[in-house]
Amino acid sequence: MSIISIKSATKRFPNGFEAIKGITADIAAGSFTVILGPSGAGKSTLLRLMNGLETPTGGSIHITGETLGKSNLRKMRSCVGMVFQQFNLVERLSVVTNVLTGRLAHRSWLGSLFYLFRNEDMEIAQEALARVGLTDKAWNRADKLSGGQQQRVGIARALAQRPKVILADEPVASLDPVSSEEIMMLLREICDRDGITVVVNLHQVDLAKRFADRIIGMNSGRVVFDGTPAELSPLTLQAIYKRDEIKDDTNLNLALAYA
Amino acid sequence: MTQISIWRWPTHNGLPPLPAVASVVTVLTAMWLTVSLVEVDVARLVGSLSKMLSFAGNMFVMPDWKYLPQLLVKMLETIEMTFLATAIALFVSLPLGLLAARNATPHVIIYRLVRDLLSLMRALPELVWALVFVSAVGLGTLPGVMALAFVTVGFMGKFFAESIEVVDHKQVEGVTAHGAGWFQVRIFGMLPQALPDFIGTVMYILDHNLRAATVLGLVGAGGIGYDLVMSMRLFQYDRLLPIAVAIYLVVTLLDRFSDQLRSRIIHGVQAKI
Repeated sequence: MSIISIKSATKRFPNGFEAIKGITADIAAGSFTVILGPSGAGKSTLLRLMNGLETPTGGSIHITGETLGKSNLRKMRSCVGMVFQQFNLVERLSVVTNVLTGRLAHRSWLGSLFYLFRNEDMEIAQEALARVGLTDKAWNRADKLSGGQQQRVGIARALAQRPKVILADEPVASLDPVSSEEIMMLLREICDRDGITVVVNLHQVDLAKRFADRIIGMNSGRVVFDGTPAELSPLTLQAIYKRDEIKDDTNLNLALAYA
Repeated sequence: MTQISIWRWPTHNGLPPLPAVASVVTVLTAMWLTVSLVEVDVARLVGSLSKMLSFAGNMFVMPDWKYLPQLLVKMLETIEMTFLATAIALFVSLPLGLLAARNATPHVIIYRLVRDLLSLMRALPELVWALVFVSAVGLGTLPGVMALAFVTVGFMGKFFAESIEVVDHKQVEGVTAHGAGWFQVRIFGMLPQALPDFIGTVMYILDHNLRAATVLGLVGAGGIGYDLVMSMRLFQYDRLLPIAVAIYLVVTLLDRFSDQLRSRIIHGVQAKI
């Protein structure tokens, strides 16, 4: 059963740039999907559409059967967690407060005026921090942590909202290889153990091949490949990473030889 | 192009950028044109040097010790006025600042209206508002506090709005993406980031208000200012000096305190000074 379905979605930005040129895709519940593509292919925009951070200019996005719109945005977001490339933690707040912001969808504005949460929220937050192995950092300020740790806080924040889906927008692009590996393993484990659907944007072909159930390849706003990692051949990789303006792209061939 | 020098500016042609040259020329021209208007007269400045010295000489007399208790009371009154007015203004300007920030306001029209309201409030100096409030509620500290708080809201609201506008959008998005509501995004995503700026603003305004409060006494709106003006008019130099020293001391102490508080908040832990 598909938990997210994208129906001929298009996105044109006010400056005229068309980032998404009609994409239709269904994402199965509990699956681990990786979106591959060169910079500027529209991967981030596609992910942001699924969280309502961008609204499609055409087509529609459905999450658990409900159409994403202005009125149900907050409710929909409460079941879709998001992990960012730059972590997007509120740096001046403590780690645990950052994780608690994942609970805000379930709290009213009046309590939030005084930064108030419920005891159960704190339990959920601590549990999420334990999952990512950062219990001892709970009361540190978020900006005092290393990049890999900050990203784990980002994942804990997403977990704390008890989501059905976690969207990760290039979660390892600012991290070293070891931290990248840890983050990907963590996301895979969350997918396997909690049955949370995970959609990840990646630049690393090797990580995609190792962790994904399904790979969606994008190039200039269109889906150019959709299949299992095993089906990803050098030829399809060329289709994903090809650059229109350059003929006989030696850089492309060289880079893919090592992928 | 002929290369006459080994030096060049980091521009295409190596010449200084036109906007910079234009502004320097404009400023210099404006100064040259206005010198005669404000009657800058070197001869007069030099001629009055002896008068200035004799005034300064009069300051250094034995202070009037019997005046000290009254000085203390008046100084305390001034400090109280400052803190009270700033605290009132703080509560009013926080929500106003939120409404007047381009990235936090619910609507552009509200943004414009609040901005205009804030500039109206700070258009006239404290002294003028104090005159208005003195004639409305009578002499004393109350009109002083009212005038101070009024103008402070005008400044603080604007400063708050500006520190909210430079907040990092990524962090705001991080909170938004998890289903936080309109108000929660502002409380959790924007305010913590703007806090160091806020503290800086509040400290600067406290400093400013303390000095403004000393002047408000001029129009009978309470505080040390009245004594200051009276002792000057009556040539009571033995009072003038302690008053000046007391004001200086309070301003300096406040400055020390604000530095401490600020670095603590910016760096999160106890800062080493």
